[in-house]
Amino acid sequence: MSAILELQGVSMSFGGLRAVDSLSFTVGENEIVSIIGPNGSGKTTTFNLISGLYEPDSGDILLKDESVAGLRPDLVHDKGISRTFQSLRLFTNMSVLENVLVGMHSVTSAGTIASMLRLPSVRREEKAMYDKAQEILGMFPGRFSGPRQHQPAYSLSYANRRRLEIARALASDPVLLLLDEPVAGMNPAESHEVMEQIKMLRDTGYTILMIEHDMHVVEGVSDRVIAMDHGVKIAEGTYDRVANDPQVVEAYLGKRAANATA
Amino acid sequence: MGATQTTPVREASRSGLQDVLARVPRWAWWTISIAIAAGFPLLNLAGVVETAWLRVGVVSLIFVLLSLGLNIVMGETGLLNLGYIAFFAFGSYTTALLSSPKFEIRWPFLAVVVVSTLVAMVAGFLISLPTLRLRGDYLAIVTLAFGEIVRLTIINLVPLTNGPNGVTGIYSPRLFADAKPALEGVQAWFIIDKPIEYYYLVLVCVIVLAVLLTNLKNSRVGRAWNALREDELAAISSGITAVRAKMLSVVLSAGIAGFAGALFAYYSNVISPESFLFMQSVIVVCMVVLGGMGSIPGVILGAIVLQALPQLIREAAGAARSDFEVYRMLIYGILIVVMVIFRPEGLLPDKIFRREAHEVDPRELEMTRQSLFDLEEGQKDLEV
Amino acid sequence: MSFDHIMSVTIGGLTVGMIYALIALGYTMVYGVLKFINFAHGEVFTVGGYVAAFTLLALGIDQNSPWTLVAGAVALALLAAVLVPMALGFVIERIAYRPLRGRSRIIPLLSAIGVSIVLQQLIIIIFGPKPVTIPTLAISSAAVSFFGVNIRVLALVIIAVSAALMIGLTYLVKSTRIGKAMRATSQDMEAAEMMGIDTNRTIAFTFLVGSALAGIGGLLVVMYYGSLKYDAGFLYGLKAFTSAVLGGIGNIPGAVVGAIVLGMTETYGVSVDLGFLAWFVVAGLALGLYVQMVKAPQRRLAHIADERRTAEYERSIMNVYRLAPYHGIKTLLAERTDALLSVSAAHGVRLMAGNVFLAVVAAVMFANASMRIDTRWQPVIAFAVLMVILMFRPSGILGEAVTEKV
Repeated sequence: MSAILELQGVSMSFGGLRAVDSLSFTVGENEIVSIIGPNGSGKTTTFNLISGLYEPDSGDILLKDESVAGLRPDLVHDKGISRTFQSLRLFTNMSVLENVLVGMHSVTSAGTIASMLRLPSVRREEKAMYDKAQEILGMFPGRFSGPRQHQPAYSLSYANRRRLEIARALASDPVLLLLDEPVAGMNPAESHEVMEQIKMLRDTGYTILMIEHDMHVVEGVSDRVIAMDHGVKIAEGTYDRVANDPQVVEAYLGKRAANATA
Repeated sequence: MGATQTTPVREASRSGLQDVLARVPRWAWWTISIAIAAGFPLLNLAGVVETAWLRVGVVSLIFVLLSLGLNIVMGETGLLNLGYIAFFAFGSYTTALLSSPKFEIRWPFLAVVVVSTLVAMVAGFLISLPTLRLRGDYLAIVTLAFGEIVRLTIINLVPLTNGPNGVTGIYSPRLFADAKPALEGVQAWFIIDKPIEYYYLVLVCVIVLAVLLTNLKNSRVGRAWNALREDELAAISSGITAVRAKMLSVVLSAGIAGFAGALFAYYSNVISPESFLFMQSVIVVCMVVLGGMGSIPGVILGAIVLQALPQLIREAAGAARSDFEVYRMLIYGILIVVMVIFRPEGLLPDKIFRREAHEVDPRELEMTRQSLFDLEEGQKDLEV
Repeated sequence: MSFDHIMSVTIGGLTVGMIYALIALGYTMVYGVLKFINFAHGEVFTVGGYVAAFTLLALGIDQNSPWTLVAGAVALALLAAVLVPMALGFVIERIAYRPLRGRSRIIPLLSAIGVSIVLQQLIIIIFGPKPVTIPTLAISSAAVSFFGVNIRVLALVIIAVSAALMIGLTYLVKSTRIGKAMRATSQDMEAAEMMGIDTNRTIAFTFLVGSALAGIGGLLVVMYYGSLKYDAGFLYGLKAFTSAVLGGIGNIPGAVVGAIVLGMTETYGVSVDLGFLAWFVVAGLALGLYVQMVKAPQRRLAHIADERRTAEYERSIMNVYRLAPYHGIKTLLAERTDALLSVSAAHGVRLMAGNVFLAVVAAVMFANASMRIDTRWQPVIAFAVLMVILMFRPSGILGEAVTEKV
């Protein structure tokens, strides 16, 4: 299996704090990898490093063997990495449809003057974008149908906002999809549904790197799990292996509890 | 959820008239508006209204151009520009210098307009280079300082601008530099110097610009601006190059102001620094706020209401100019405060207007108010 | 360039600086607490000046009035110039700002601009569009001789009064209960509320204090210059805001430092020859070179991760600063470089560009050494300072927000 994403000894500090410390891992094609770890273990920082919001102090990040470390976020997106955010970041005053269309920004090309004049090329592109958006929104059956696509994003329910963020990230046909806690704040039925959708995305060919706290979901979808603590990778492997790793148990529950289970 | 739940709320909260009005399709509104605007000078020809009213119409339409331009940065991209009138000044003075006895130059109309627009665009580009990374309120103040520096420079640069006296005797627009006197009948068509001719010239510009900007708004470029306004961090993570998109919006809006400035200089024959006070910038801001930030029909309405209505009232009442200006500005000030507190989405809010056929939940309007312009909170939750 | 001239210019600059400082404190405190530019603050200052002037006019004092009467009248004017702006500040906050709290930055700024326009027009409607002028008083024109230089007593009074008020304000913020509440509110309004602080009251108090200081500023300006125009607040307000940003907004000592720097710059800028001014630019250039060659690379070196700290790497960081035209630009243009190195290169090239600019400016000034900047350009100086500081160092000279210092 060829690696889509490869982190090579990536480090990043804030002041004196090592948020991510010599982190290395790979994500293979058509694979779902989950990053778990307690709060403050550097998971979101890792995402921010991959998506270009931060620049690593050292180390390299390769997407299909091409370095993307320190690239601007918009250029990282152009290269094919798109992401969702833990704290929902939708364009709240724009419609559901427009949110998805914005996600296609880097894979479309209409220029200012052509758009002003609405040239045939622009019309064709808009039509193609619209069809594509229908296809993506259609992946969430019954959630974004008909007139709901023209509702502003702020009118959506919490779970639908998470779904819409995923839809927006999918709009650019990413090589790698980063999902930051996709089921946070959802009830069990909803998170189960999202879990099924994530599996379906893998089946349609997407590669997914995901941060998740819900162990049920992690167990359900992950091909591989990476556990982090204090910016360091402490375990990697199948869910069962990682979940039973004494270091992981210790990170979550503390030393004494870890001794008790061991 | 959504539609099914909000429907009863909507029906309960809307009167019958609003319901009927909401059903009139957009193209009908546009047709009616254009028909009224195009028909207005006919009243003058028929002797119903005085020529003074027509002059008010021309200036109002120039302000419509200005507020359409400001709306690009302020409404679409969410950047407050308090020195917008400086770009108007760039356009006006370029026109004045290229078509007046000051340096005895008389370039053809189209060349002058194009150069004026370009000069304003270059000014917009230069000012946007170092400022676009600033957060919202600082950007507003920097643009204010820029506007004042431009105005004070115009006043002090006497050899070029005649200082406080302004440039006088600007020639009337002539489509071709050397219209032959022999072609008397034809030439009349090529020289624009009556209010009614200016009126139609500017009206055509307004209509064309409104169409172009509406297209742009509903395109990839316009959506990128809106995304930056809504959430800059999410926008750049969705592949939008923030600096480039913002710069484009600043440069484009500067160009429109420059274009409007050229028409203004031609129309008024005389320009002086008094036309480019900070207050003028605020007036245009007020037009955009009143009509609805980001709404093209809204800002057109805002500009007409705030420019034409007071002048028409003044014409009708025959009040003294200075007194009148004081009360006009007083009302503008009150309007800004009242609008941002009670109706920040403006008189003709764009999105809600368009979606009225589907749903309007008062609670959601509340949320629109909350989140318009809330973009700088962005960086905060990028936690470790 | 005589000593007399330098002396009187310095005192003049200090005086206007201190007036800016009084107004700037209002901006800086409100910004510190609410993160909001109170654009209407300049108009509050104007109102203070107008109220003071009309009080003096109403009492009918003039040059020949006995000094007891004048003192009493000035005291009354002071009272009016404090109370009316306070009431005004309180009402403005209540009506126009409080409903918008929590909406970020631009919307309250719009509201503040609206209020500022309303106040300006109200001043015209109530007091008329002509500048208000007070009769010349003995106290306004009195002068003392200081090393042979004649200095207006009032200038010294302004400097002393402002300095005293600033020391008092610093004490208020640092050592009193309400000052503690202000600092807490500025750090985190919600948390402060949970700790039992009445944030509404604290914010109202901040507006009261700021408005009172602006009112006193208004009185001093009227006394010093003898007249005030309805739109004076716009320029004074912007200059005061410039001072606040220059010193580091939210920072009380910073506002004073910024105001003095601005006052001096403005006064010196139009009162001395370019040849003399150029030495200040040379001093700035020296500072800039020190930052580029010593300070900035040192700070950057502290960021290197331990495992990468090699002599060679340290040297390459130094080089992109010290040899910015070559190494810096080369690094910037390189296809892909080390992150820390490319950030340093960008910084180094920026610093170099700034230093080159300063050098060119200094050279131009020396070349025209005997010329002087015309006073017509004086307002431009303040706006240019405002633009430059916001673009290149928005945190100001002393850094932003008093809370970080406490």
